[in-house]
Amino acid sequence: SADFLFKFLVIGNAGTGKSCLLHQFIENNFKDDSNHTIGVEFGSKIINVVNKFVKLQIWDTAGQERFRSVTRSYYRGAAGALLVYDITSRETYNALTNWLTDARMLASQNIVIILCGNKKDLDADREVTFLEASRFAQENELMFLETSALTGENVEEAFVQCARKILNKIESGELDPERMGSGIQYGDAALRQLRSPRRAQAESVQECSC
Amino acid sequence: SLQPIYGARYPPVDPRVLCSLLKDTPKTHAVSVRSKKPATFHEFARSTNDAWDIDDEEDDGGFFTATHSTPVPVQSHPSGEAPRLKEASRLTDTEPEPRSGDRAQPGSTEISQEHLNTDSELCNGRVVKSSSDVQLNSNTERSTLQKQQSLPLRPIIPLVARISDQNASGAPPMTVREKTRLDKFRLLLASSNTNLEDLRKHSWSGIPREVRPITWRLLSKRKENVGVTHKQLYTNISDLLLSFFCRYLREFCLSGRFDIQPAAMCRESTTSSRPSSSSSFPTSHLLTSVHRFNLRLLSLSLSLSLSLSFSLSRSLSLALSLSLFFSKEDVENFEMAALPLETQRNIEADSFWCMSKLLDGIQDNYTFAQPGIQKKVKALEELISRIDEDVHLHFQKFEVEYLQFAFRWMNNLLMRELPLRCTIRVWDTYQAESEGFSHFHLYVCAAFLIKWRKEILSMMDFQGLLMLLQNLPTIHWGNEEVGLLLAEAYRLKYMFADAPRHYKR
Repeated sequence: SADFLFKFLVIGNAGTGKSCLLHQFIENNFKDDSNHTIGVEFGSKIINVVNKFVKLQIWDTAGQERFRSVTRSYYRGAAGALLVYDITSRETYNALTNWLTDARMLASQNIVIILCGNKKDLDADREVTFLEASRFAQENELMFLETSALTGENVEEAFVQCARKILNKIESGELDPERMGSGIQYGDAALRQLRSPRRAQAESVQECSC
Repeated sequence: SLQPIYGARYPPVDPRVLCSLLKDTPKTHAVSVRSKKPATFHEFARSTNDAWDIDDEEDDGGFFTATHSTPVPVQSHPSGEAPRLKEASRLTDTEPEPRSGDRAQPGSTEISQEHLNTDSELCNGRVVKSSSDVQLNSNTERSTLQKQQSLPLRPIIPLVARISDQNASGAPPMTVREKTRLDKFRLLLASSNTNLEDLRKHSWSGIPREVRPITWRLLSKRKENVGVTHKQLYTNISDLLLSFFCRYLREFCLSGRFDIQPAAMCRESTTSSRPSSSSSFPTSHLLTSVHRFNLRLLSLSLSLSLSLSFSLSRSLSLALSLSLFFSKEDVENFEMAALPLETQRNIEADSFWCMSKLLDGIQDNYTFAQPGIQKKVKALEELISRIDEDVHLHFQKFEVEYLQFAFRWMNNLLMRELPLRCTIRVWDTYQAESEGFSHFHLYVCAAFLIKWRKEILSMMDFQGLLMLLQNLPTIHWGNEEVGLLLAEAYRLKYMFADAPRHYKR
């Protein structure tokens, strides 16, 4: 079983490849018959980061504006987020500021965000340079990777880096997993909480030795 | 000898054998079958009869339905959409169209039955042949084009076969019961002034595919048209449509509601219609022409209902037009553009009528913040808490919210949860119900959820529950399952709709 459970979000404009990133991450292959996500979809995977098993609970949100009212309700209590744009579409890049504002406002101030410039394989159609995006990432204190859900390049890396940063922050004390809405749970505690009434949660967290 | 392979429905496999096979094979079966190396092609084909429907759903995905990040076996092999569609178009060159029954005289049923039999036999031979050679094509294509894994040999279900077969559902081409039903429909439709009430009554339990186009048209007909003969209705429809369109366009312009929303919508529709990757986009003649045609239809529907979701309307209209289109008697060729302009307009108009009827009453599903959906999800929650407390409490215990899975059920009218043939069958009933799409759907959703109660109650964590609810294994569903589902939904409606407080806790 896992040592930690992190709640993750995948956000960004429609058609940037969010669902494909998630699919590639979980299934290790490219889903080429993808359809619009309706509302949200859920995925989960356990990864090993610096000798800890971390279970990621990932909410893949719909990028379309019409679903915003539904998807926003999933931001609360997210520990990490993949903010995705499409390197072949400047429009999706320009929308990043809005997504970022939403995430910081609705999730939590401490949310760890990694910027993903997806469709790296379509370099010929590129509209956003690596340099420009990495500057944006720096200014906004984001991690940054260019990914390809098609080839799988940097996909696992994105999730792992984000999780590693969260772990680091926990170790340095910058993040407190026990704070409400941190989006982090201890593995054992998480399991116990799922099997017992919510009240037991606080106690089990204290019992946990990790 | 050749074993025809287009869908679990059609082949002359004994339906009982097939049923038991399907019932004994939960989703894990598909995986194990795939991992085993089949000794012969036929063996493989037989053992994966049930796998067809996976694609059924998936493939439609490109156009109609499913997708999602289903990390269940279903998704473990992205389906080669392009090759299959190509197959469909090739078929169209050879396969005779099913005869539409709308002009049939009551006395002529014998003859048309004969026609039907010969037709299906003919199809049999041809489909087998073409699906196997295309299979080779698609294999080479696939191995070179895409990084496909698993399945070394995967026969293809022709789109046509799947669509025209939705009523067969694992049964042999036609049973006595089905024939009687068809005769009944033909009798009803043959009269110059069809009694719509009778037609509705009969449609509730499913419409034979031969007469579906005309029946849908009649059922979605507006009141003012009652009494008009089929032919009049048919010729009037295009003009009506045009005036309809103009009126809406004018109204929206005048009301100044052409603000951000439609603009965003158009952008969305253009981005979605743009092929996202060349391999996944159907390049076949058929699909591009149908696609083009549907875009036109869509521009109408977008104007009609400003906030209608693009992908939804695309799915709906494509499903509608295909089902109307594929059983028309006067269409020999599938090339849409080659059809006389008038025929194209007629099909378009028919689809549009059905669609506007369909959207009647569910417009608030697609307006800002989607209040209709929110309301229905709440209603579903309340209904479940009354009819199956165990499931309801189980969800509460693991903090699963109804919105997390039922949002899509409402938004897409279960299109992504059921194979296309089932969706069409469900719509037969929705058309026959007075408020099928707006009201009855809720009870269908409730019945659908309860159908999985055993699986739900056996899941002991949040992840498991959500993964299950997101990917319910309906791939092998046919008429029988849908029939049961609808019957259960009717029972619920009967119990609760007219006495909303009766069972309130």
